[in-house]
Amino acid sequence: MSKIHGSVEALRIALAALRANKARGVLTTLGIIIGIVAVVTTMTAANGLANSFRESVSVLGTDVIYVSRMPWIFQGNFFQFRNRPNLDLKDSVKLARQLGSEAVVNPTDDTRRPVKYMSEVIENATVIGTTDKHMMVSSAVPEYGRFLTAYDVKFKRHVCVLGTTMREQLFGDVDPINKKIKVGRSAFRVIGVMEKQGSAGFFGGPDFDSQIFIPVSTFVKEFGGRNRSFAFAIKAPPGADVADFEYEVVGEMRKVRKLKPNEDDNFAINKMDSLLEAFNNVMGVVLMIGMAVTGISLFVGGVGVMNIMFVSVTERTHEIGIRKAIGAKRRAILQQFLLESSMICLVGGAIGVALSFGVAAAINRLLMPASVSLPIVIIALTVSVAVGVISGFIPAWRASRLNPIDALHYE
Amino acid sequence: MGLQLCSVEKTYEMNSVGVRALRGVSFDIDQNEYVAIMGPSGSGKSTLMNIIGCLDVPTSGTYVLDGADVSALGEDELAEIRNEKIGFVFQTFNLLARSDVFHNVELPLIYAGLRPARRRKLAEEAIARVGLADRMRHRPNELSGGQRQRVAIARALVNQPSILLADEPTGNLDSATGAEIMEVFDALHAEGNTILLVTHEDNVASHAHREIRLLDGLIASDSFQSEAA
Repeated sequence: MSKIHGSVEALRIALAALRANKARGVLTTLGIIIGIVAVVTTMTAANGLANSFRESVSVLGTDVIYVSRMPWIFQGNFFQFRNRPNLDLKDSVKLARQLGSEAVVNPTDDTRRPVKYMSEVIENATVIGTTDKHMMVSSAVPEYGRFLTAYDVKFKRHVCVLGTTMREQLFGDVDPINKKIKVGRSAFRVIGVMEKQGSAGFFGGPDFDSQIFIPVSTFVKEFGGRNRSFAFAIKAPPGADVADFEYEVVGEMRKVRKLKPNEDDNFAINKMDSLLEAFNNVMGVVLMIGMAVTGISLFVGGVGVMNIMFVSVTERTHEIGIRKAIGAKRRAILQQFLLESSMICLVGGAIGVALSFGVAAAINRLLMPASVSLPIVIIALTVSVAVGVISGFIPAWRASRLNPIDALHYE
Repeated sequence: MGLQLCSVEKTYEMNSVGVRALRGVSFDIDQNEYVAIMGPSGSGKSTLMNIIGCLDVPTSGTYVLDGADVSALGEDELAEIRNEKIGFVFQTFNLLARSDVFHNVELPLIYAGLRPARRRKLAEEAIARVGLADRMRHRPNELSGGQRQRVAIARALVNQPSILLADEPTGNLDSATGAEIMEVFDALHAEGNTILLVTHEDNVASHAHREIRLLDGLIASDSFQSEAA
């Protein structure tokens, strides 16, 4: 009971002390405010980055294995991969046959070509050669019209499906279905438009909405196939364990490649997981650097609070003497000053969080998606109270240890 | 009950030289006594008052308050004793400047851990007792010196202490106001309180019924006065 009342009293004193020294309080909290804005902004930015990355890669599916000539992420010598033979369409057919009819194998490749409709031209559009199986290895679906069919692929038809950004840029409000556009030097008929996917474009990732899909057979005919290496997106049969299936794919690929047992793989297995992992590693480092910088600013803020608490204790030495004379124990004095420093920091933290909403909004407009989430707010406020307790501790301890007689006679 | 001091000595270290402020002081004070402690400056009366008020402990000797030896207690235990058994009235009032009358008087009860409703009742009673019921929400700087000292007395009374310890309670007041304050003490004594005045003014000391004079850290005289003094 007495502890609770003691806390209420300590809170009252803390608030009164803050009110009594407004200008000083504001200046002191400035350090904390800046620190907390830094904390929240760093975490918000990291969160936004990670979310939009995950959102965009999730289109590709985490149960899909990609076989390609090069690994997506590699360490060491690039030249060890350079002399690997290409993966061609025949390889994909062989692999599909060996994996059985339940597994899906979709060979794709992309190139950059100018795309034109009437007077609208997009230079360097990403043109992707793929098959009807694209729908099975990706979560992308047409918004209207249809996707490519096996028939389109077999007969090398000049049809295409547009990403939603492509459609906007080329057609504006015009209905694109059955319109002819030029891809490279040939005319293609638009048969469908994909749903919006979101993009990871801001850090060099693929922008799925500005792609244009054509049959892979037509792709080879138009843009050449001899020096191309395709990537095979492979989906495990329903119910299969993805890790087991990966072994199977490696084994079958070695057969396709006619590798002897002592030869290394001359192809690479890529997975979303490894991409995510690499991304998380990079994010971890970025976050750590961000937190270190943030930590320094919070430390500086904390030193400011500690300084002001020393001043506060000195100024109120006489008051401490009075309180002790009428029966305040050391713990009560300690509590009083700890609460005061925590309140200073909590107020600073709250202002910092409020400002961070503005900063996040600005980042959102200018750089990338970012929004302050509740857990971040809670973390920020907890951190500010912790800074208050830590930086207030030595001054509060000193106050609690004052000799009552000396304190009482201090002027 | 009351208090008993037995061969109390207090030595301070000052620049590595021991200063003997009290050199063996012994006396008893019974309940409801009205005692003045007198002596010139440097006689050790401040030191004695600190020890009796449990703000300090003797270097040697024993101090028994209400039957309990308090001469070797730690700081927090002394704080508890001060809270429960001692009511201080200081020359300079020593009120919290930023708090109103009610809160100043309530403060010892907060440290005693009483519930808000009980604190309110006791504090209001104590404030009414010193005649400041209409000044409850005033701050010390809105009050006269005499009123401030009344607030201090109310604060000292509020936890129903064993002793009221008044250190030069009229030292900062004009003589008329000082006389009023002494009337308050007289009345409190008549109600059964034990009162200890530390003073060097004869007219203040004359209110007490017993006078202990200190000189150079020793008791020079300890005499009972006639009621009519």
